[in-house]
Amino acid sequence: MKKILSIIILVLMASRIIAQDFKYGKVSKEELEEKYYPLDSSANAAVLYKNRQTYFDYQQNIGFMVITEIHERIKIYNKEGFDWASKNINYYNSSSDKEKIIGLKATTYNIENNKIVETDLSKKDVFDQESNKYWSQQKFTMPNIKEGCVLEWNYKIISPFKRIEDLQFQYEIPVKKIEAKIEIPEYFVYNRRHKGYYPITSNEETKGSTISLFDRTREGGDSRQRNVTSTVTETKVNYITKLEYYNATNIPAMIEEAYVSNLDNYKTAIQYEYSELHWPHEPIKYYTTSWENVVKTIYDNFDFSSEIYKSNHFSEDLNLVLAASPTDSQKITGILELVKSKIKWNDYNGLSKFNGTKKAYKEGIGNVADVNLNLVSMLNKAGFKANPVILSTKSNGIPIFPTIDGFNYVIAAIEVDNDLILLDATEEYSIPNVLPSRDLNWQGRILRENGSSAWVALTPSKPSETNSKMSIVFNDQGIIEGVKRTQYNNLNALNYRNKYAKIKDDDIISKVEAENGTMEILDFRITNKNEIYKPIIEMYKFSSEDLSEKIGDKIYFKPLFFDALTKNPFKLEKRDYPIDFGTPFLVDNMVSIEIPEGYVVESFPENIAIGLRENYGTYRFNIKIEKNMINVYSLLQISTPIFPSTNYDEIKEFYKMIVNKNLEQIVLKKV
Amino acid sequence: MRIIITLAFLSLNFFSYAQDFDFSSLLIPENLKEDANSVIRFENLSIDIKSQREMIISYQTAITIYNDLGNEHSNLTIQYDKRRSINNVKATIYDNKGAIVKKIKRSDFKDYSAYDGISLFNDNRLLQYNYTPIAYPYTIYYEYEISTSNTAFISGWILNGSYSQSVKSAKFSVKYPTDIALFKSEKNFKGFEIMKTEKAGFLSYEIKDLPALKWEPYTPALFDFLPTVKIGISKFNLEGVDGEATNWKEFGKWYYDNLIQNTLELPEATKLKIKSLTANTSDPVEKAKIVYEYVQNKVRYISIQVGIGGYKPMFASDVDKLGYGDCKALTNYTSALLKEVGVASYHTLIYGGEKRNFNPDIASPQGNHMILYVPDANQDIWLECTSQKDPFAEIGSFTDDRDALVLTPDGGIIKHTKVYKTEDNLQTTKGNFTIDSEGNINADVYIESKGTQYNDNLLNNDGKSQKELDLIFKKYLSNINNIKFLKIEVFNNKEAFSFEENLAFTATNYGVLNGHQLLIPINAFNNNSDAPPRIRNRKLPFEISRSFLDIDEVKIMLPKQLKIEFLPEKFELNTKFGTYSIELIKIDDSSYFFKRTLKIVSGNYQKEDYEPYRNFRKEIVKYDNSKIILIK
Repeated sequence: MKKILSIIILVLMASRIIAQDFKYGKVSKEELEEKYYPLDSSANAAVLYKNRQTYFDYQQNIGFMVITEIHERIKIYNKEGFDWASKNINYYNSSSDKEKIIGLKATTYNIENNKIVETDLSKKDVFDQESNKYWSQQKFTMPNIKEGCVLEWNYKIISPFKRIEDLQFQYEIPVKKIEAKIEIPEYFVYNRRHKGYYPITSNEETKGSTISLFDRTREGGDSRQRNVTSTVTETKVNYITKLEYYNATNIPAMIEEAYVSNLDNYKTAIQYEYSELHWPHEPIKYYTTSWENVVKTIYDNFDFSSEIYKSNHFSEDLNLVLAASPTDSQKITGILELVKSKIKWNDYNGLSKFNGTKKAYKEGIGNVADVNLNLVSMLNKAGFKANPVILSTKSNGIPIFPTIDGFNYVIAAIEVDNDLILLDATEEYSIPNVLPSRDLNWQGRILRENGSSAWVALTPSKPSETNSKMSIVFNDQGIIEGVKRTQYNNLNALNYRNKYAKIKDDDIISKVEAENGTMEILDFRITNKNEIYKPIIEMYKFSSEDLSEKIGDKIYFKPLFFDALTKNPFKLEKRDYPIDFGTPFLVDNMVSIEIPEGYVVESFPENIAIGLRENYGTYRFNIKIEKNMINVYSLLQISTPIFPSTNYDEIKEFYKMIVNKNLEQIVLKKV
Repeated sequence: MRIIITLAFLSLNFFSYAQDFDFSSLLIPENLKEDANSVIRFENLSIDIKSQREMIISYQTAITIYNDLGNEHSNLTIQYDKRRSINNVKATIYDNKGAIVKKIKRSDFKDYSAYDGISLFNDNRLLQYNYTPIAYPYTIYYEYEISTSNTAFISGWILNGSYSQSVKSAKFSVKYPTDIALFKSEKNFKGFEIMKTEKAGFLSYEIKDLPALKWEPYTPALFDFLPTVKIGISKFNLEGVDGEATNWKEFGKWYYDNLIQNTLELPEATKLKIKSLTANTSDPVEKAKIVYEYVQNKVRYISIQVGIGGYKPMFASDVDKLGYGDCKALTNYTSALLKEVGVASYHTLIYGGEKRNFNPDIASPQGNHMILYVPDANQDIWLECTSQKDPFAEIGSFTDDRDALVLTPDGGIIKHTKVYKTEDNLQTTKGNFTIDSEGNINADVYIESKGTQYNDNLLNNDGKSQKELDLIFKKYLSNINNIKFLKIEVFNNKEAFSFEENLAFTATNYGVLNGHQLLIPINAFNNNSDAPPRIRNRKLPFEISRSFLDIDEVKIMLPKQLKIEFLPEKFELNTKFGTYSIELIKIDDSSYFFKRTLKIVSGNYQKEDYEPYRNFRKEIVKYDNSKIILIK
């Protein structure tokens, strides 16, 4: 009986907490007295309630405006949450047209002497600040912030553009309740995209809407006659409005984790991209929707076709390259190097031109489109079947739907025998099919001029390899002396060159020494530093007192010395996001150690061979002892660049076993 | 984070020079190419003080850039605002042979708000141009002229302000009217050949052929060892307010009278409240503490940079109403409250961050931060009013141990802030760990930090969620793989001025199994130090910037089934940079007491001292990895 009673009380208490009033100003004592977020006591603040309404409003002589109303109620639990008392509202503000923010009202609620005290934000404490040429912000921070306070604000954004801002459900703090209603007239069609892992569902319905168009006609009235009559004719237009309702509760906070390429990719939100205009009595105007439309829009809007076939400006240079290149592959690399040498990338992304291919070529500077469309154009001119591939860089997020906004970068592709060669001339050290890391984001879309298009895998199929050989001897003082030769291929070579090709050997030596504890490098040589079509070969001699330990009459050392993987890169207990290695890779190390005179091997680690499911990763470790030599071989191979988070435990365990093996030591004993 | 004053910018004057100059990079002497990513071919900064309220700054320079590491020097950014206008700006790019590649006009520059990402509002604006080079080497020439009424900030001169950049010639000159006195402070001139011209109303410096410096770790700030000149004048204007001062006393008086005095008024209700809160004590220090804690609970730090607001505190009554403000506003508010309860306190201008003293010879605006000074018979009390966490009278490494300017109604006084001694910056680690026969560890650790170590840990760890703390401590204990925390508790013990961290964890494979041996690293809890890198032929002096003392006392319990094959011996190091010792003391057959101390003493050292210091740290790394060896 007691049990039942307490359950009833609990239920009653629970329902009392749930029965909240979300009207502006109706902040409850319970909300103010709440000491921590019930489902996550570590939250410093929480969104108690958010209401977002977006609708289209017809304004005479102007047309449809997109109106978004926001109402937010935020709880601040402690000082760490004070950052949430400052708010930035972004709005589009270009020289030609702008969005407006109206009706901003904001209040802080505190509890003092058991009474709710309200402090309103005063207008003069709201700042307006330009962020860049196109965007501005209204910014404010709330007055009278104390631990436990509740904040509330509402405002409207009126937009002359057909821009519907992302409907964001997830923040770095938890959300108790979000309600949203999006109303879109039948004339406007948007692509909707759900991103993030938290499931969000919507209810949809339609309703009839009407707008009145007024037309004023004047009668009579010439300049001498006073009695002008004007009649206003009203035309009613009926149309269907589509409504989407969202209602979500208890959305967990988004916390940053390691090895995530871009956290924003995973925050739950609905994105809207304007795709079609169905104006009555007019043909449908497409902005996006199908890949065919995307291709067409891009070719039309971004001058791809005219840019690609504008070829006079480079004919002379191209002919020189072609004359000097007997084979196809020489032609391709010749053209790639020509574009690299002629146009420097100005670090701007984008699908639309910055200078245009011709001007970029002449001035030697351009954005990614200028650079790589020149490349496509030249390849075509040289007789290759080349097309642009649009993609979204790592920092820009993953595109899934046919959208234009989703892409921010373009590279070149040559189609040969059912195969593709991908090229990016913005990157000094890139070669065919070895693209810089920023490009390696899932898939790109090849756009052919006939309107067809297809997905293209951007991540390399060939692994990036690092192969090293090392031989070690102990000198008379017991100090280790060694020679190491390492070869870097593909993406590893590209990254190596980016890191080291521009700096002097002396500085590289210091860096390599610093990365490897207290070893000292004696001779150092890099081969093919600038011969980018060959692998990097790094060779050095070194000595170190700290790679082995002499204890009593024994010598201890790790078989891979400074190349041992001694720390597991995966530290989290649990992981929600995919693991992104960027590229398949292979690392192997061969170490041969000369056993010093007067010593024998007392013990050494056992061989292992382990693997991930479906051969996605393998690790092998072998030791062989032959006469006075110990030969160690270690091979780590990961054959797929991205793993879903469900594989996390397995990968963490895999690395744990590698680390344990790498930490084991060889023990030599004096005879 | 708490910057108040944006430094006045540089600038220029004559440009006929540029027309005759040969921009070809082939003319650069070999010794200036050494270690240089760029070379200043010439630089000319001239300042023309027309009157108390008018100053023209003109700047011309030509820089040859050899590679993309030098490219930052062709990114031009010029700051301006309502009282600072750019009269003229242009740039030209030359190729290797000195031929013009591109001319850049004002309309090619981007013009935008200097939003700093920190301030709620900042009314400065920027003109910016980024050049994308098409070939190396190239030379960029640029010039601009700025006029401003803000004569309070006169750009000083620091020679060769960048590493990896050599200087062919650089000149700095100031012209000023005879009714205004000029003060100057020259530092680090020894060892440099500087041509100086000084006559009535004119001062100039010139230097030639300065090779590039290569950055080396543990180097002090450049202005600590390169020549600098600082300039101030006796009659100046600051954001529309005239001022006159020939020394710090007068400057402080002017600042107090014009910018502070009328900002201290509080609402009656607040006055009554703070009086009643402090009614039970007559001790001024006790009162100050109550007021400080009242402020900490009531307000928070928000930066706002508008006009004179960059120098003048917001009214105390506004802070009272809004509950926020920047460092000046919060210092001022605290001071107003203290005044109300009869405790004297003074606003103090200071450099926050790396240690920089107020220059005793130049009475003009300096510093980038404001704190509060409360005089007391027994001790100087300094209050950091932007912190909601710092204990009373503890300022930490942000503003400790430096000369600052205390502003009193009677004038300014240069005072040295609190000094933390090595022993004050103490971290004690106490705990125990048990190892089983498979090498798994089970540990309890208690870490207590004081002094500047308190601040470091407070800022990093306080208020973090369990998930964040989990990663923070996995990183701190990165010498241990596979950690699973059973407990992580952190506590800011304000009363004791200590930051306390309580951990319990287990980890598999801490000890490494080698056949029938088990190797157990003895220093489990404080083993994350690195030795400084080797520098061949070091050229620059070196500095250890912070002193500290770590004491670790840990009980180690070994598996009883295994025999001890080896125990590390007691080891001690004693150098001028500090001391280090480890020792294992037997408790019984399977348990030992591990004691470790590490003391590092801050200071400025000669370049020859770097290698001995590095050896000292290398030895520490080595002995921190000492292992007990057990055998099955």
